[in-house]
Amino acid sequence: MSNETAEPTLLDKEGDAAADYLEALLDIADLDGDIDIDVEGNRAMVSVVEVNKGELRHLVGNDGKILDALQELTRLAAARETGERSRLMLDVAGYRADRKAQLEQSASEAIAEAQRTAAPVSMDPMTPFERKVVHDVVAAAGLVSESDGEEPNRRVVIRVS
Amino acid sequence: MLEEALRHLVAGIVDHPEDVAVSERNQRRGKCLDVSVHPEDMGRVIGRAGRTASALRTVVTALNDGRGVRIDFLDVAER
Repeated sequence: MSNETAEPTLLDKEGDAAADYLEALLDIADLDGDIDIDVEGNRAMVSVVEVNKGELRHLVGNDGKILDALQELTRLAAARETGERSRLMLDVAGYRADRKAQLEQSASEAIAEAQRTAAPVSMDPMTPFERKVVHDVVAAAGLVSESDGEEPNRRVVIRVS
Repeated sequence: MLEEALRHLVAGIVDHPEDVAVSERNQRRGKCLDVSVHPEDMGRVIGRAGRTASALRTVVTALNDGRGVRIDFLDVAER
């Protein structure tokens, strides 16, 4: 079997295992949530969607700290089922989706500034996932970007060329 | 609810889910949960540099409305 046909199967299994793990947790905690499973790029994307607005906010936390912890555990649960290390992304209450939209907006503003001034524009420090969002927007606009500095202060620098 | 949630979170990531047990102790400074797991799963629930243990504490504290919960890990032989 070729890799292209094997890969979605693994991602499906990952997503299903993650959904089972999260669904049971919501049940125990008596919280409502709909679970969506998707594939984004080559990763499983699992989203817990709020049924009652604000009900799952405490599972996101400041700066998504609690969401990251829950994602870590969900990856381990998925890995136990598939036997492979999991890179799945978890979203709760649209936190990552909102964050992505904000990042795309600030990337567009930084691109406009780089084009106007023809000078490099340095963005705020970001996580690897956030930097990837910015790099993608910059590449789509036909400009050049690179990451500079050490974690956790690593940031994207945008140049016209 | 917290005990059951923690039991579920741990049982889902170990090789011997049937050996996972959680009990609650009330301490003067708040809640403490003792989690016991199969000795072979000890490394897994702690994780590299305590990463998994810390994720478990973070999520359980969130489920406890942000009030800190102490979690102690024991292997079944110590129970």
